[in-house]
Amino acid sequence: MIENGPPPRGALEARVGRLLRIGTYAAVALIGIGVVLMLASGRSPLDVAPPLDPARLLADVASLQPAGFVWLGVLVVLATPAARVLVALLGFVRAGEREMAAVAVIILAVIALGVALSTISPDTRG
Amino acid sequence: MEIAVLLIVGGIATGVFGALLGLGGGVLLVPLLTLGFNLPVREAVGVSLVCVIVTSAASAAIFLDRGAANLRLGMVLELFTAVGALIGGLIAFLLDERLLAGLFAILLVYTAATMLRPRRGAAATDSTLPPPEPRPPTSPARGRILDGMSGPDYRVRAPVSGAVGGVGGGIVSALLGIGGGLVMVPVMHLLMGVPLRVATATSNFMIAITASTSAIVYLLRGGIDPYATAPAALGVFLGATIGSRIAHRVDVRVLRFLFAAVLAYTAYLMVRRAVGMP
Repeated sequence: MIENGPPPRGALEARVGRLLRIGTYAAVALIGIGVVLMLASGRSPLDVAPPLDPARLLADVASLQPAGFVWLGVLVVLATPAARVLVALLGFVRAGEREMAAVAVIILAVIALGVALSTISPDTRG
Repeated sequence: MEIAVLLIVGGIATGVFGALLGLGGGVLLVPLLTLGFNLPVREAVGVSLVCVIVTSAASAAIFLDRGAANLRLGMVLELFTAVGALIGGLIAFLLDERLLAGLFAILLVYTAATMLRPRRGAAATDSTLPPPEPRPPTSPARGRILDGMSGPDYRVRAPVSGAVGGVGGGIVSALLGIGGGLVMVPVMHLLMGVPLRVATATSNFMIAITASTSAIVYLLRGGIDPYATAPAALGVFLGATIGSRIAHRVDVRVLRFLFAAVLAYTAYLMVRRAVGMP
């Protein structure tokens, strides 16, 4: 049987909380593996690290490169808050809370604007 | 290897003390990285932003489960903190490192003063709030948003003040690598009439979006170093977990005074860095 009514208030909070917990533990696990690999390979936190290269990320993880795990963990950290806004957006749409759904859309738009503006003039280091 | 271990231990200490004293990790972590490990202030801020997202996301999940954080209030306000964080993230790359160090010294002095101020219990502080006023006539959409942001025993007021405070909190967070609770808790509690317990939990919930908006700017502009971030984030996460478990067994009154002294001394060191003294 398909449920048609809006979810009870509190159910959305539980879903958002579950997502935050999963995202955080996944990120900490990836970063933890990265730290173990860093220690094993004798790399220092003050060494020059390879920049983020999405095209090489999975290959670095597969070859147990510490930077690969750490970068993936950092990306999970940064993506988790946006993912919880998306989950909340779906919950608000389902519950018919149009104003809150609009708030969620605008938050995602601000994050997207940040990505766009930073990509225009990336990497100011050095 | 020694430096990585030191950074993990420093992160653990930061996380423990942050959890015991109700501070976000950034206030303690940025000086540790800058003064202890000689990282540039901007790089330390990038590392700190990642760390505060990790710790706040973990505790926000608990606050949501317990019904302490107000999801709708948090999301409306983080719309404005995100705008502020975007502005702050972009400004941060235009400012001189020494100016950032000077701004951080001001933050440390403010935090130390806050810690020395006599504290009342949450219930007593909440009782100082005026009773909710009848809602003035407003548009249906705005009224529905205000109703949704309010709780069963309080009604949110002064949304414009909250919005302005949110933008300010986001800018401060992005420039200095802190969660923004130092700004948002007073804004919610004193200006918007939100009980202190709810304001604290909701501020914690909001940190993830505020910090991630500016952290993305830092990431794409090369301001996040993965090798420095990893041990610090792991340490802060472990420390915050330990701190939250032992918090009810520790008398933090003496700790508060000691820590205010440490923050004041750290502010002095940051001022020296700001004026270019060795």
